Amino acid sequence: MTGTLLMAACYGAGGLSSLLARWSGRLALGVGHLAALVGAVAGLGVSLGVLVGDQGRTLTLPLPELFPFARLTLAVDGLSAFFLLVISLVVIAAAIYGPAYLRAHSPGAGPARQAAQVLALNVFLGCMAFVCCAGDALTFLLCWEGMTLASYVLVVAGDRDGENARAGLLYMVMTHGGTALLLVAFLALTERAGAFDFAALRAAAGGLDGMTRTTLFFLALGGFATKAGVIPLHVWLPRAHPAAPSHVSALMSGVMLKVAIYGILRFAFDLLAPVAAPLPFSWGWTVLVAGTISAVLGVLYALQQHDLKRLLAFHSVENIGIILIGVGLAMILWRREDVGGALATVALTAALLHTVNHAAFKGLLFLAAGSVLCRTHVRNMEELGGLARRMPWTAGLFLLGAVAISALPPLNGFVSEWLTFQALLGAASRFHGPAGLVIVFSAAMLALTGGLAAACFAKAFGVTFLGRARTPHAEHATEVPPSMIAGMVWLAALCVALGVAPGYLMHLLDAPTTGLLHGPGASAVVTAQGPLVLSTALTASGTDATAISMTMVAALLIALTAMAWVLRRGLRRAPPRTAPTWTCGMSPTARFDYTATAFAKPLRFVFAALYRPRRAVIRETAGTPYVFQRIHYSGEVVDLAETQIYHRVQRGITVLSRTIRLRSTGRIHGYIGFVLAALFVALLLFGVGQR
Amino acid sequence: MTGERPIELVLLEMALLVLLGPLVTGFIQKLKARLQCRQGAAIVQPYRDLAKLFRKGTVQAVTASGFFRSIPVLVLAATVAAGALVPVLRAGPPAFPLGDALMLLGLLALARFLTAIGAFDAGGAFGGMGASREMTIAPLVEPVLMMVVFSTAVAAGTTELGALSAHRGTSWILDWHAADFLGFAAMLVLLPAETGRIPVDNPDTHLELTMLHEGMLLEHSGPGLGCMVLASHTRQIVTLGLVAALFFPIVSYGAGAADLLVGAGAFAAKILVLAVFLALVESSYAKLRLFRVPQYLGIGFVCALTALALRIL
Repeated sequence: MTGTLLMAACYGAGGLSSLLARWSGRLALGVGHLAALVGAVAGLGVSLGVLVGDQGRTLTLPLPELFPFARLTLAVDGLSAFFLLVISLVVIAAAIYGPAYLRAHSPGAGPARQAAQVLALNVFLGCMAFVCCAGDALTFLLCWEGMTLASYVLVVAGDRDGENARAGLLYMVMTHGGTALLLVAFLALTERAGAFDFAALRAAAGGLDGMTRTTLFFLALGGFATKAGVIPLHVWLPRAHPAAPSHVSALMSGVMLKVAIYGILRFAFDLLAPVAAPLPFSWGWTVLVAGTISAVLGVLYALQQHDLKRLLAFHSVENIGIILIGVGLAMILWRREDVGGALATVALTAALLHTVNHAAFKGLLFLAAGSVLCRTHVRNMEELGGLARRMPWTAGLFLLGAVAISALPPLNGFVSEWLTFQALLGAASRFHGPAGLVIVFSAAMLALTGGLAAACFAKAFGVTFLGRARTPHAEHATEVPPSMIAGMVWLAALCVALGVAPGYLMHLLDAPTTGLLHGPGASAVVTAQGPLVLSTALTASGTDATAISMTMVAALLIALTAMAWVLRRGLRRAPPRTAPTWTCGMSPTARFDYTATAFAKPLRFVFAALYRPRRAVIRETAGTPYVFQRIHYSGEVVDLAETQIYHRVQRGITVLSRTIRLRSTGRIHGYIGFVLAALFVALLLFGVGQR
Repeated sequence: MTGERPIELVLLEMALLVLLGPLVTGFIQKLKARLQCRQGAAIVQPYRDLAKLFRKGTVQAVTASGFFRSIPVLVLAATVAAGALVPVLRAGPPAFPLGDALMLLGLLALARFLTAIGAFDAGGAFGGMGASREMTIAPLVEPVLMMVVFSTAVAAGTTELGALSAHRGTSWILDWHAADFLGFAAMLVLLPAETGRIPVDNPDTHLELTMLHEGMLLEHSGPGLGCMVLASHTRQIVTLGLVAALFFPIVSYGAGAADLLVGAGAFAAKILVLAVFLALVESSYAKLRLFRVPQYLGIGFVCALTALALRIL
């Protein structure tokens, strides 16, 4: 209880510390981030207290009365505590990393900008934490809005060029569209309940008919999916996330999207769930299919990005998709004893585990990309290269994150994807007919996603960190200061711990899984054979369990690496000679290095139907057509959602506004006529409805 | 779960796979040579090559970073660890759970990912080209391989390879369902791709227009190259072992020394059959153009999807 207050006080103090910028911007940065760090540790304490303590306990804290019509409350149950844990873990890294990054990246920033950044950062963090702890609709919506506004400030505060402002505007428009949907969903419930707190909403939702319930769910899903960046509502994400400072990008991608996942879980399993009946089929299937599409398209578009941070932002779309596959499966299986049983718990565990895993590795990757950015001031990976020798720590940590996000053993991405696969397979063997086929197809797409992610990160790591430096920016890079490395090491340690010993952390998932599903906890299902072993049963009888041990595999890998190292040293201990790379007799330069565009080209050909690639080659010849003076090449791929949906909507709006402009003649009679006509139609519609 | 393969047996099987890996390559090379009316090198030639490589010194590219030296070590370790997951001498899950088919594919993918990264480090175009092509083919092969595994896993209720092969039991081809035939067909289509052979890749060439896997090894030398070559031998026998575990019958369930010997003989026979298949395909087909390969893999995808559909419907 005191922990929650302490957390609020820290974020508040962090916000106020922006006032220090009047004297010293540097001091404000330091104190602001320190306050955020203490706040995150307090949040960690609160969440662990709830997660480790006795099951089903909910911390509630009524806030002082601000509004005459509603009382704000905080309530921390298992689900809230889990998301608070995820937020706090990443905030700790970002708070350690932040001050040095901001100083190194923009040394010329004035105190006003630093004050704005510190204030917005702390408001953002506080709102994010309290969205998850909200005990009533009003607190939820206020914090949700605060989170959006503060992150908008952070997106546009970095560099004030036109691109950032446009990204910020798109972000504002999209997320407010989403918030509008949420508002409708919440207000429809509060109107029925006559109160704002979640308990009353839950009781009011019990009496809803199926149609209204489903409508409300889809309204909420639309709102949260916009924030989570589910395709096709993702267009703001790859623009806004790279524009923010890198540790804020890490928070936005790693954590803020997860708050939307929290909202979906809260609405589906708690607020809107029918009493003692399974969720309607349409909910789960929609989420599952949307998740699958997001996963595949997200990684495919990521593959063709050459901007390091934009590539990572597209991977967030992919990973949100993977989380939603687990969530959708849990929705389908929940309370259907004939097919589901404990499998719903497996699916939800996979989704929650991927939530924390994605927060860890995506946070790590964004921080590492930020390190590259602040030392080279270049985001385009075609202009980098050879950084591994100049920034060995950053390179090693980026590689670790890359292995984790590509779902390769023995790191954490593999664990949650393995659980998702097991849940999908189990569901496929129990559903017969087309439903089973959809699930199997989803599993195949998940496998494709993993393979493409590995290809994408081989490209990202290889082109950015290996080979020769392509520009002077990359040539003169140096390693980042220790505090930035420390922030990254914290997240890297989380990736390793969650990958090598996931069983020991599984009981932290007990409270959210039992709280939502009212069934067995995660540890009882997944770590039934002891903490070293992860196991799931595919068949309903549960006799043939599939079991793996990440710990044992990691130990085996280490032992084999040691043996291979001995072998690698060879029988003749000659010191290694160095020689230039063979480039067919020419003297090697950086232009011989394979570029990211070239690397991704075969996949661009294979998936041409989805990319619609365009390329333009202009050749300037000298006299004869056989001698080229200059060749200019440009190529781009399109985002299908953007061209097929948004551009059409945009054209529609343009046509509509042209038509309206023709009708608006500027004469007052015409306008009065329109108003009268609208009134007449409204009276006709609602008058008929009343009778 | 009561395991049937104690941990010593698992480690013994792993060592056996690593030791026999080059022999399979040598056998395929010999058979190919004979099919092409050549005498060919001895079957043990891959061992001689490895011994030579491990005695040599190392030449490293000037541009290579610190990662470059550890890449062969990690690739070899990941591939050999995948070998620990394949049942060789007898079927059944290991006494202590280690990993399932998904873990095996994951470890092989890890080895491939690291190899591709190593290819970038020397800063030559060949390495990047090889890595690009390999990482184009791999994401297309992996989902289909997983679907083949799923098509048998849905029937058996587990993805543990030992348990899968125990579920296959002693039934011969007469007991196969239509789904088994289709799954096996898909597997045969994928096998050349996964082992880096014609019609997808050509292991004998170092011509820049045709090579995939070899392109990534160009800058490795001496013991490092030895590790990479040993890893690709191991990868081949592990893949063949995966096919054997998924589709071929086991001979005996017993646990005695005689049974283990029979199991070893049966395993050798299964690998031999698949190796003959690979040699025949390599000798009778030409290499496909790179952009034809997705269509070729599409055949495998359709077979695997149909196999799964038959299992579920």
